[in-house]
Amino acid sequence: MIFCPNCGHQELPGALFCKECGTQFTILSRDPTLTIPNNLADHLHEEISEDADSVVPPTPNDASLSLFLVESGEVISLEGLSEYTLGRSAEDQPILPDIDLAPYRAYEYGVSRLHASIKVSQPYALLIDFGSANGTELNGQKLTPNKPYPITHGDIFSLGKMKIQLLVNR
Amino acid sequence: MDECTFYDRLGLPRDATHEEIRRAYRQLVLRLHPDTNVNKGETELFFDIQQAFERLSDPKKKADYDQQLPPEPNIVSPLNISTYYSQPSLVRLSEPQLIYTLLELNIEPDTNLMDSSTPLNISLVVDCSTSMQGIRLDTVKITAIDILRKLQPDDIFSLVKFNDRAELLIAPGSLADLKSAEMKVQLLQAGGGTEIFKGLEMGFSQVDQFHSSQRINHIILITDGRTYGDETSCEKLADQSSALGIGISALGIGSQWNDKFLDHITTKTGGICKFIPDAGDIRNSILDEITRLGSSLTDQVKMNYQTFQDVELSTVYRLQPDPSPLDPVSPLILGYMPRHGTMRILFEFVIKDILKNMIEFIIAKGILNIEIPHHTVGTKYINRIIFNRQITAQPAKEKPPVVILNAMTMFSIFIMQERAREEMSKGDFDKATRHMENLATHLSQKGENNLAQSVLNEVAYIRHHQSFSEEGEKLIKYGTRSLLLPARSGEN
Repeated sequence: MIFCPNCGHQELPGALFCKECGTQFTILSRDPTLTIPNNLADHLHEEISEDADSVVPPTPNDASLSLFLVESGEVISLEGLSEYTLGRSAEDQPILPDIDLAPYRAYEYGVSRLHASIKVSQPYALLIDFGSANGTELNGQKLTPNKPYPITHGDIFSLGKMKIQLLVNR
Repeated sequence: MDECTFYDRLGLPRDATHEEIRRAYRQLVLRLHPDTNVNKGETELFFDIQQAFERLSDPKKKADYDQQLPPEPNIVSPLNISTYYSQPSLVRLSEPQLIYTLLELNIEPDTNLMDSSTPLNISLVVDCSTSMQGIRLDTVKITAIDILRKLQPDDIFSLVKFNDRAELLIAPGSLADLKSAEMKVQLLQAGGGTEIFKGLEMGFSQVDQFHSSQRINHIILITDGRTYGDETSCEKLADQSSALGIGISALGIGSQWNDKFLDHITTKTGGICKFIPDAGDIRNSILDEITRLGSSLTDQVKMNYQTFQDVELSTVYRLQPDPSPLDPVSPLILGYMPRHGTMRILFEFVIKDILKNMIEFIIAKGILNIEIPHHTVGTKYINRIIFNRQITAQPAKEKPPVVILNAMTMFSIFIMQERAREEMSKGDFDKATRHMENLATHLSQKGENNLAQSVLNEVAYIRHHQSFSEEGEKLIKYGTRSLLLPARSGEN
């Protein structure tokens, strides 16, 4: 059996996507060195994300997460869900992200409407960029869209130019 | 059928094995047995098949027959057939595994089949029930007259109107008097109920009467309502229609028609089913359908297949042309093949077990049957297909081929909305809406904001009413299908 990294649904070996949530497995389950990097930064990141698996400590079950918005100094706590979508609401669109950054000048910072998500999962919290227009960076490295990256206390990521620090309160 | 060999009658190549002969016979008998026939003509066909089987199933008679058979005409198949797999090998595992196979068909660009158009033998079966009154029927009328004027001398056309009964308005082959035919169409009136079987049956006899291997033989049903109580008869008719090589396509107008039922009927025959939300699109949809048939190489691509021990064909999906799920039963009715373009069929196999000493695994074998109608004479091409893989201890690190990855993007969107539909029918609204929200996310990631919005609107509707809205369900189903059309996904 293989497990969907996004929702944990079980699939048979050989499956190429999750029939529960639609996440494609091919980018995730294969050796990352086979994906051709576009530039040096991407290349570096592939290495980092591989190492990261062994370096990042697990997020404890009872830990609560919050987001520290570096520019505005606001803290948003994440409660009650297992996955939080980040983005900004817009009048002409029915999609409302779980964490709406519109009040924090998200538009000016270049945050997409559905930009990224943070998934609270064992043993790591995971950050996934949804293929946003201006991209997501984690500790200065650009993320490959739709690929989950482990993220932990103190990590700074940016949605477009909006810097956010993840806080894990134990 | 006159010059057909016994092999042709069963749709088999001459080197068919005893087992293949038996299987092909059994499949045909199931669909054509006189006890269950709806139409009279099929009894004859049944006896033809019976006769073929009697000769070929007896090894001695078969040998005699093969002896006196003229040598096989040396036809070079104009088809290119390619097969792609999601993995270069199967892995020796103690648990079941999945493998995807993609079958790709297209025609050699330099064959003379490329330029000629295919003559049609079609029957337009028009619902004239009360609900069609007004702009719907008026548009159909204008369009029918358009078609009458555009017909080629080779084409055979008939028009059947139906409500609770069917009436032959324009008989096939009677177009010498175009004026009076147009007049008859002008005078069409709406009224009464919708009994689809009555209409289909009459359309079927018209097409069957002039059935020929030189034409595309097809019924086009235009309806806006539900039929009650005659669904089984329609299914039976579709089976026979398919065995005879007559396709049925359907155009559903508005939101009240039964999409599940018409999808089912048309899929059985290799036809397609289209949703026309607005009366304003009726005209183009009908004309498109006629154009589609005229520019098809054939509407009858079929494949007999047999999976091997411990293999299950779980899903068959036609990616191109016209994305649609297909019934995973043999013979697979793959549908129409465009003159310019490609047919792509995705197979999902579950391999339940791999025996210890195997080094190669045969997943499935098939016999692909393509009848290509042509002005002078129709040709039948028979190709053997085999899906097989080596067995290795470790999974390969290679990425699946790009065609498979592209196929998966389409396939996963289809699966997600199928899942939502499944959960709905089980009454699990939470799960259903979750699948739909996932679907919306994937659609908006693809930049399909309008469709994503329709899906989210439908989620809100379901939360309120605990059921799909008639319109929304069709919009999502056919919207996601058309989203996957090659024109929009940027593939040839």
